Order: sequence, then C-alpha cells, then structure tokens
Amino acid sequence: MAEMWISMGPQHPMTHGLWTLKVKVDGETVVDTEPDLGYIHRGVEKICEARDFTQITTYCDRLCYASANTWSHAYIYAAEDLLEVEVPERAEYIRLIAVELQRIASHLMWLGAYGPDIGNLSIMVWCLREREMMMDLLQELGGSRMHYNFPRIGGVKRDLPYGFAQRARAKLDLFKQRIQEYESLFDESTVFLVRTQGVGYTKAEEMVNHGVTGPNVRAAGVDYDVRWAHPYSVYSELDWAPAVERSSVKGADCYDRYRVRVTEMVESANMVLEAIDRIPGGSETHHEPGDPAILAKAPSRAPEGTFGSHHFEDSRGESMFHIVGGGDGRGKNPYRVSIRSPMFITLPYASKCMIGYKVADIPAIMGSFDPCIGETDR
Amino acid sequence: MASSDWLNIRGWMDSIIGWTLDKTHNLMPSSDIGLGPLGSINLQETFSSIQPGLHLFIFTSVMCTVVFATMMITLIVVPYIERKFIGRLMDRLGNTMSARSLWVGEGGVTAGEWWNSLPFGLGAPIGMVNRALNKNFGNDHHTDSVTRVGDRGYHGIWFLLPGFVAAVADFVKFNTKAHIVPDKADRLVFEVAPVIIISTTVMVYAFIPFGPHIWAANPELSLVFMMAIFGVAPLGVFFAGWASNNKYTLIGGMRSAAQLTAYEIPLLVTVLGIAVLSGSFNIIEIVDFQIQSSDTWNIFLMPLGAVLFIVTMIAEVERIPFDMPEAEAELVEGWWTEYGGIRWGLMFAVEMMRAYAACILFALFFLGGWELPFQDTLIGLPLVGGLFAILAKMTPGIAILLIKAYLMFALFVWVRASLHRIRTDQILEFGWRYLLPLSMLNLALAMIMRVAFWDGAWPFWLAPVVTLASFAIFVVLAIDEDKEALENSNRIYHTQTLEKAYPGRRE
Repeated sequence: MAEMWISMGPQHPMTHGLWTLKVKVDGETVVDTEPDLGYIHRGVEKICEARDFTQITTYCDRLCYASANTWSHAYIYAAEDLLEVEVPERAEYIRLIAVELQRIASHLMWLGAYGPDIGNLSIMVWCLREREMMMDLLQELGGSRMHYNFPRIGGVKRDLPYGFAQRARAKLDLFKQRIQEYESLFDESTVFLVRTQGVGYTKAEEMVNHGVTGPNVRAAGVDYDVRWAHPYSVYSELDWAPAVERSSVKGADCYDRYRVRVTEMVESANMVLEAIDRIPGGSETHHEPGDPAILAKAPSRAPEGTFGSHHFEDSRGESMFHIVGGGDGRGKNPYRVSIRSPMFITLPYASKCMIGYKVADIPAIMGSFDPCIGETDR
Repeated sequence: MASSDWLNIRGWMDSIIGWTLDKTHNLMPSSDIGLGPLGSINLQETFSSIQPGLHLFIFTSVMCTVVFATMMITLIVVPYIERKFIGRLMDRLGNTMSARSLWVGEGGVTAGEWWNSLPFGLGAPIGMVNRALNKNFGNDHHTDSVTRVGDRGYHGIWFLLPGFVAAVADFVKFNTKAHIVPDKADRLVFEVAPVIIISTTVMVYAFIPFGPHIWAANPELSLVFMMAIFGVAPLGVFFAGWASNNKYTLIGGMRSAAQLTAYEIPLLVTVLGIAVLSGSFNIIEIVDFQIQSSDTWNIFLMPLGAVLFIVTMIAEVERIPFDMPEAEAELVEGWWTEYGGIRWGLMFAVEMMRAYAACILFALFFLGGWELPFQDTLIGLPLVGGLFAILAKMTPGIAILLIKAYLMFALFVWVRASLHRIRTDQILEFGWRYLLPLSMLNLALAMIMRVAFWDGAWPFWLAPVVTLASFAIFVVLAIDEDKEALENSNRIYHTQTLEKAYPGRRE
C-alpha cells in the first residue's frame, strides 16, 4: 500500500485532549509523525499579568483538569519565593496531603483512560471508582471536586476537617487493596503484556536531552524526582523513595511507564498516611480558616525587578513557574508569569517514539505518556 | 429417527395450511365452467394440480416468518445480557469477576430484594439465604466512610426494564437520523455493502434450528450452506471500508480482510471436525447424533474443538479481543466510521445477531442442542428419575437451547470485560501459527475417534478419558510458568531503592 498521511485529531479517541497527531503510515506501519498543538491556547500567562497574586491561583487550577491541585501549588510556591513568605509547617503538611491525593487521582485518571486505549473498558470504570474516593477527600479540603483553589500564599485555605484523618486512612487502605485488583487485570493478563511490553521504547539519554521529566523519565531508570532531588515542602522529612523502574538496554517501554505510575500511586498513598501521622499539632485538631497556624501573613505587592521561581513535581513531570514582580507601577499584579509545562516538552518527543511501530500501537504509546493538553497549550 | 418435543410448530403449521387449502379446494365448483371459445376449465382439478406446490410455498414462507420472528424476539435478550452483565462486571462497586456478587450483592446492598415480590411468601427462604450469604461473604467494607461508594439503591423490579426498552429507544433514534454519503465515496458500493452484511446475516438463521420442529430450511448440506453464508459478511465489510473514501475505514477494511483469511480457515476446519465426528453435514442430524446415537455431547469428545470454535467465532463476529477492524481507540469506529442513521444501527444490531448466531451454533454443535444436561442419567436415577422425565417432557427444546446460547453469550461478555484488544500482527500470527495447526490436530483427532472407536456407539470410557485428559492438560498449561525465562528476562518489576541525590538541600 502506498504511504499516506492520516490526521488523527483534533477530535480523535487517541488524543486525550484537543490536538492533532499527523501520522504517515505505510500499510499498518507508522513511518513518520508530526504533532500539531495549540488548539486550546488560552493565553494564561498573559491573563495572569492582569490579575493580582491571589487571583492567579484559580487560573493555575485550570491548567490541567486532571491534576488541578498540583498546578495551583506550583504557582503558590513560586509566589512565596517572590514575596518571601515563611509558611507554617502544619500548612506544608496539609499541602503535601492535598498534592499527593491529587497525584493519585491524576494517575488513576490516566490508568482509567489507558484501558480504553488498548481496548478494555472495565479498567476505566474501576479507576474512576477509586478516583471518586480521592475526589471526596479533596472535596473535604478544597470544597469543590475539580478546581479546588485550595492553597493560599502563606498557607492553605482550610485546616483538615474533623474526621478527615480517619476517613483518609480507611480510603487509602482500601485503595491499596484495590491496586491489586488492577494488577490482576493488567499484569497477569498476557494480552496486556503483549500489547505494552517491547512497544514504544524510549531511551534515558534521549529523554534527558529533550527535557522530558516525571514518571516518563523515571520509567527509563533516571532517578530524577524534584521532590527527591530538590526537596521543597516537607518531603525531606518523610520516609519515601521515588518510583523508578529499572528498564532494559533498549530503554523504557509502555509497560515500564505503566509500572512506574502504579508504584508512584502506592508511594503517594503511603506518604499521605505518614503525613497524617506526623502532622504538627495532630490530625484531630482543627484551626479556623485564617489562623496563623495554617496561614501566614503575606505582602500583596512585589517590588520591581524581583523575581521568584520554583520547580515542582507535577503528576506529569517537572512544572515550573517564574514570576517577575511589577513594582508600584503594576499595582498588585506581577510583571510577567511564565510557565514550564512538562507535557509541552514531552509530546514532541513522544510523537517521534512511535515511528516503526504499528497503527494499533499509536494509542498504546501515546496514552502511556499521559498527555494533558490543557497544560500543554496553556 | 429425529428427536422431538411437544412444541411441534412445523406440524401445526403444516396441518393448518393443509386444512385451509383443502377447504379452499372444496369451496370451488366441482363442475366444468365453460369459457366460450377458450374451452372450459375445472377450477377444482386445476387447484388440485397446483396444491402441493402452493402448500410447500406457503408452508416455507410461514416457517421463515416464524423463525425470523423467533430470532428477533429472542435477540432482545442479547443486548440486555450485554448491558446488565457487563455493567455488573465493570460496576463501581468493584466486586467484579466474582460470581458471588452477581447473586448476593455487596457492601450490604443487594441488587434489590426481588424475592419479596414472590407470591405466598415463597421468597422468604431465598431472602434468608441471601441475607446470610451477604452477611458472611458479601464484600462489606466495614467502614461508614466508604459505604457511600457501595450505595446502589433499590429501584424495584423495574430495574430490569431499561435494558429492554433502551433497544427500542435506540431504534427510534437511529431511524430519525439523516443518511449522509461522504464526498467522493463510491456511492453504489457504499449503499450495497450494508445490504450484503445485513442480508447474509439474516440468511444464516434460515439454517439454524431453534428446536426439533422450529426451523425454516433443512437441506442435506445445511452446515456447508450456513458456514458459506457466514463468511460472506467480511467481504461486505471490506467493500464498506474501501468505498467510504476515508482512511480509517480503509485500514479497518484491510484489517477485516486480513482477519478473514487468518480466522475463516481454522473455523472451517474446526467445523469440519464436528462434521466428521458426528458423521453428517446436516445441523439437525448433528444435534440428533449427540442426543440419540452417540448419547454424549460433542464438547466431552472434542474439548479442543470447542475452544477453537469459541476463539474463531469471537474473531468472526469481531468482538473484543479480536475487534481490530473497528478498533475505536485508533480507527475511530473502523470500517463503519462513515455510516450513520439506521444503516449504522442495523449493522450494530447485525453484529449482535452474528454473536447470537455463534452462541446458538455452539450450543447446537457442542452442547447437545435442545437436550437437558445429563438428561438420560437424570431420568435413569432411582426415585426422582420420573420427575426429570416429566421435566424433560414438559420443557420445550427451544427454551433449553436458548438458555445455553445466552450462557455462551455471557461468556462472550465476560471475555470482553476482561481482555484487551490484540494488535493486528499478533492476531495474524496467532491465527496462522497456533489456530490453524490446532484445528488440523482437532480434525485429525476427530477422524481417529470416528474411524477407530465408532461402531454405532462410543466406548463407555472414551468421553470421560478425553474430558479428563483435556482438563489435566489445561491445568498443567495454566500453572506452568517458565520461571527460568522470568529470571533471565531483563524486566524486573520492582522499584529501585535510591540514595538521596541532594539530601537536606532545603536547610
């Protein structure tokens, strides 16, 4: 058969969002690919220049619908770096709980979407079932189910509610059992293994050169986790280890990327359980919103020429905010906000990964990178 | 002598039509009628000369209608099973894959206390048993905070209804949609392809007996006819994919053609094995062979053939894990991407119909058709044997056959809920490298059994030995993990323990 270009997207089951993957196929074999991004570019960076520091948090929530909390926290840490705020330790623990719960929910969303990519709908329903428990816990903290607007500059919006610790323990224990159900459906299924093992190899050196971060690069054996390499919150005080797969000489395949995320979910669940035990002041005490124990005073204006930045381990890789203070001329607004999106850097590399594989492998490979177009296009 | 039951629809129809034609014959004037220059005509005599042909024509048409209506009415249960059973397997409560939860419910919540609506308190023991099962073995989370996940609620007996009524709603919706032909599509082939697919699938049912007396056509070589017609539809799929002027449909059509060659041959060889074992190319005779001559269901003599038949039939009807012609993840909807409205709806219904036909065929070929399980043994039991004899006498064959077919379809749904889609090259490799040799082996085994052991009856030890040997092989294959290969593999599925790269940098 002659070679032909197929335009997969912007509305296609494979895309997980709004983008186009142009694929050149020779029969069933992929010969060339070309990603085409920018369908939902909203200009978040420009919008942020017209908002004051507290208003920007809500926009950062909306960078990724599957992982809202991690993005607002990434911004908050950068803003605290700019405004030089010391955060109470209890607030740091609560933030860690919120972010790790969000990471579990995001990975569950990924796993749920990966099932239909390779033809199994059961796993989607199962994962969304467990995600519901995480959403309930996050709802208790932030008040909503999707865009929480939870962190504040200098702390968090609310303290842990009464009984949160008990509910979180029960649900996370149940969740750790349910992980074994997934493994019985995935790891013990030969069909799943032949679909994911030996497919979509990525090399560690290539990924590092391209700037790929997060679970995708940890699947290839690179032990780079921002929480581990540059511990920012109270991550250095907890007992945990980043999930890193020891991949083969050919690199990491789709199965490695699946394993690393499952391991990371268990790791995050353990982290939350440990944080609940070790939180200063105890998990059963409850402070009113605005209490100095959970929210420090923060200036609302930044002097001209100052800048703050922070890199943050998002669910999909290393996200980074760089904020430049505006001085009196800009009022309470920043002069410039720039965002590093991990998926914007990963997607072009991931698109080239599937050259030489079959058409049926496109969703299997693309889905394993966990694309999120909301943050990619910003 | 063919098997028979009291639901003798063919006999009834035959006598009704014969009686009507006789009455019509008698109503006609018996004397000659003069037609002037054209001579004269005796209506009664003329009618007598065409009466046998007329009888056959009306009788066949009526039986075709009966079989078609039976198929369409009983088909409603198939999407119902698909909806409800897969909903149970995938449900949000999580106790999937466990047959227990289908019965007792979980999380302290059952699917509805239906037994309370039985008359005269007949359901009370069922309720007691179920509550005890649920209390002791139900998946209760023991935690108030997580029971919210398990709260299904009770919706009364009407929870059964939506699975049926949704099919009607779907039909109305599909009928109201516009028919759109894509630009630069091959209009003629685009319109003809659904006709090929739908009509050949309906034609398959002409040769399927729903019972000893419910069938439309019964030629000597009905098995050959039926498999030939079954294999036409993939050609229509190929037409549809090629004519739509769409790259996704093109790839889907090509995949369908590749799958056709890889699966049709093992399927036909397997069916040939059934024919050899039963000594007939006639479906009804194959069933009668199992019920009467051999007195053993074919699945006990040919377990390998049964497995091959299921696998190839799942591929033939394009269900997961072999649904790559319509792989919705990469090909949107495969070869039927460009079809809409009632054509799409009918082709979807036809896919159900093909799966249903596959299930009925499995029941006919391997599960003894319309015979109760272990019927003769049960009737031969002391004391209670008479009860089973009455039961076997009272139950019409169609009910037994359809229950077997629905159970088979539940197996299809279970497979769909548990497995993933296999890739194109893997599917072809599987077909050529494993299924074809295995089906040849199956044919050889059938020949050996037929030639060496059949002399009007099977030796008494043959069926138990074959069944037990197959089961033993299955168990050995299932528990035989290649430990060495796992150890030498460069995949090690665990997390590395690392030293901190920059411990305590924040301080």
